[in-house]
Amino acid sequence: MSQFKKGFRAVFPIVSGIVPFGLVAGSVFYEAQLSFTQSLAMNLAVYAGAAQMAAVNLMKSHSAVLVVVLTGLIINMRFLLYSLVMSTHLKGSHPFIKFICAFTLTDQSYATMANHQNTLKTDQDAVQFYLGTAACMMFFWQLSFIAGFAFGNFAPEALSLDFAVPLSFVALLIPAIKSKSYVFIAILSASLSVLLHDMPFRSGLITSACLAIGAAWFIIKRSRA
Amino acid sequence: MIESNYFYLVLGLMILGTLAIRGSFIFFSNRISIPTSVRELFSYIPAAVFPALIAPAAFFHSGKVSWLYEKERFVVLLLAGVVCYYVRNTFLVISFGLGLLFILHVL
Repeated sequence: MSQFKKGFRAVFPIVSGIVPFGLVAGSVFYEAQLSFTQSLAMNLAVYAGAAQMAAVNLMKSHSAVLVVVLTGLIINMRFLLYSLVMSTHLKGSHPFIKFICAFTLTDQSYATMANHQNTLKTDQDAVQFYLGTAACMMFFWQLSFIAGFAFGNFAPEALSLDFAVPLSFVALLIPAIKSKSYVFIAILSASLSVLLHDMPFRSGLITSACLAIGAAWFIIKRSRA
Repeated sequence: MIESNYFYLVLGLMILGTLAIRGSFIFFSNRISIPTSVRELFSYIPAAVFPALIAPAAFFHSGKVSWLYEKERFVVLLLAGVVCYYVRNTFLVISFGLGLLFILHVL
């Protein structure tokens, strides 16, 4: 089986967490009275669910352009880290491939590739695998978003399907926990994000992640000393 | 109602900004060389990012189960983490979490 297909299949179970999120996002855009063209344009070209939802909520309350854009971008700052990791596999790749990989970078694609790192022997394998995950994510995200826009969030409320999103993140997180120091970093990150929840522009997320990475850096340095 | 010009200005800036963030290191990958210790740090990124994404949403969510101080989503996430550690099956983890939350709400 090609690495592309392996990537597509590896991320497929995560789709069960993406579909409810897409439905909710699509219905939020519809309720904000955005046209189908506007909604699809943002969903295709920005392709970052959490940032889009935050931006639409702020636009509904007529927040300043700078506030809306900055909030969205701060939420997306975590992609800097993923971009750094992906860059190690893309040296010498065609600029078009680099563009596609950058454009389709998501939490799910990145984490699925990171969790399969040991099975990917070459950079070419890694890129093919990643593109498979990205294709699957793009397809189901757009489909569920359009369904949410067209039909609303039709899932029964009693099923709490929106909760599938954090559950899918748990499923991506746990395979990346390799020792006690990873557990420590995860607990630190969770605690900081709760403590820093009220920071402006939802910047608590990226601040907590950066502080946790700083702590991980300290652990690595200490273990080498 | 969101005014059209306002929306497209935000959209344009968000497209450029998000692509710049996502492409930052990828576009210049030929010129960047990354030390081994930094590569080791990469393996910590999921542990540093995902808890920060999910913990506040679960912790500050006001639930319905009073004996869990309305924090049932937080409790279910922790239990789902334990289940995931043993079964390593995404679909099962999501089903377990949604099922347990449903049962807690029904009880």
